[in-house]
Amino acid sequence: MAKLEAKSEVSGFIWKIETAPGQRVAKGDTLLLIESMKMEIPVVAEADGVVVAIAVEEGGAVDEGNTVAVLEV
Amino acid sequence: MKDDAKLRPDLRLVLDARAERLDAARPNAVARQEKRGRWTARRAAEAIADEHSFVEYGGLVRPATEGMAGAADGLVMGTAKVGGRAVDMVLYDYTVYAGTQSAMNHAKISRMFSHAEKHRLPVICWLDGGGARPHDMHVTARPSTPTFVVFARLSGLVPTVGISPGRAFAGHANLAGLCDVLIATKDSAMGMAGPPLVEAALGKKYTPEEIGPASVHWASGVIDILVEDEAEAIAAAKRYLSYFDMERPAGEAPDQALLRDIVPENPRRAYNVRTVIQTICDRDSVMEVKAGYGKAASTAFGRIAGRTVGIIANQPMYLAGAMDTPACLKMARFIQICDAFDIPLVVLCDTPGLMVGPEVEKTGLMRHSARVLSALANATIPVLTVVLRKAYGLGYYIMGSRPLEPAILLAWPTAEFGGMGLEGAVNIIYAKELEAAATPEERAELHASLTAELKRANTAVESGAKFLYDDVIDPADTRDILIKTLETLPQPAPRTTRKRVIEPF
Repeated sequence: MAKLEAKSEVSGFIWKIETAPGQRVAKGDTLLLIESMKMEIPVVAEADGVVVAIAVEEGGAVDEGNTVAVLEV
Repeated sequence: MKDDAKLRPDLRLVLDARAERLDAARPNAVARQEKRGRWTARRAAEAIADEHSFVEYGGLVRPATEGMAGAADGLVMGTAKVGGRAVDMVLYDYTVYAGTQSAMNHAKISRMFSHAEKHRLPVICWLDGGGARPHDMHVTARPSTPTFVVFARLSGLVPTVGISPGRAFAGHANLAGLCDVLIATKDSAMGMAGPPLVEAALGKKYTPEEIGPASVHWASGVIDILVEDEAEAIAAAKRYLSYFDMERPAGEAPDQALLRDIVPENPRRAYNVRTVIQTICDRDSVMEVKAGYGKAASTAFGRIAGRTVGIIANQPMYLAGAMDTPACLKMARFIQICDAFDIPLVVLCDTPGLMVGPEVEKTGLMRHSARVLSALANATIPVLTVVLRKAYGLGYYIMGSRPLEPAILLAWPTAEFGGMGLEGAVNIIYAKELEAAATPEERAELHASLTAELKRANTAVESGAKFLYDDVIDPADTRDILIKTLETLPQPAPRTTRKRVIEPF
């Protein structure tokens, strides 16, 4: 088992968290949505795995490159 | 052939001298390079060239400074075939005085670049070295070397590809900065000045990797293609040159039905435009450049039914596809490469417009967005535009709109057109009505309904009725229409003169 950090590609705010720790996800599933420039930008799982942690809260700010979730794959 | 023992002495002398420069005769040098974890220049040359196609130039050259010795004076160069295409290649040999540029290898490389100019051959540069060799400073002709001028004049005439497999500083970095496309390994380091110069000027000791690591150059747009190692770098160089075979047998088409669902129904939801590029092109034919820079746009080479195309696209995943300075710089230069070599351009438009605000104005966006418009307005290559979703303002005007006379201008059902963002337009057009609203809630409600009305008047079909597009299509037909359109556009005759220069950035 390896840890895989999901990172935000953009600066913005956490719009909606669509997964929770313990949840199994498939590659391509949306983990959460970031709002930036009035757009909802999905952060997707880059591999099949289990969500270990969500590192942000809805409404919170993120910068480009910030880790927003951690998966175990 | 006579057996070796009977060779005449004059021939024997030559054969021995020829053998001395090869890796087999230089075990210590090869071991040093292996210890450094890198390929020798000759191993790279062998991997680049098609089998038995390499003809070496200047292999017998010795350093000009007395008492110094080094195989081919640190530069392996010659003609070769790469994927069946004739090229000139120059490879700095790090095992000879750290691949430095000497008086003699400057003369050699200038000869090769002039050769490329005269015979119109693409150039591959293997740039592993630390700039000028100080020992040769006494050589009279040295300060007048035309190396960089001759190389700069190749711009737009022939494709130039740089590979940075280790360290490229000063003169090597200068060549790297002039290449059309620069490929670098993740552990490479580059910079205009290496550690000794930096220490002398700034009084601080840095390692090469602290001065200019690949990660920095990837983010700044200096590196076009980032790779793991030498083998990947060479494969990428070959792949890039392969696009200059303008027509090949058609490749396999990905499932086109995918295109119907790529743009989400929710207009606020972003999607990755790379999926669109991958789907309209032949399977495994896409090569993106500068993916680490100007992320609000994506620029890639690809093939559509075997025909080479360049693609510029807005990327809604970043800044909602708003065109900022890096995105504009990246697109403008990509258009120049396509135009110089007569590569048709596919433009995928989904932009809310140029990026706005005081911060972007500080970056010179007025001039840099003008670069994209200027490049497209003055290009003579066919442009094929597809509006995927947002087509707003000056951003859309630049992204292959009607006034730029695209060969075809298509729109998907999700296309939204507006001279500016519709929410903003409502604020201006209905300022009085909104002002007159009794409560903020009423004002918001009025704003929403006016915006919705404006959107209904600007749907893809309504815009089609106003002839804003040549057609509004089923996204799944995009590739087919692009193929048919490309078929109406014959390949131009090979050029005998340079069409245009490609700016270094």
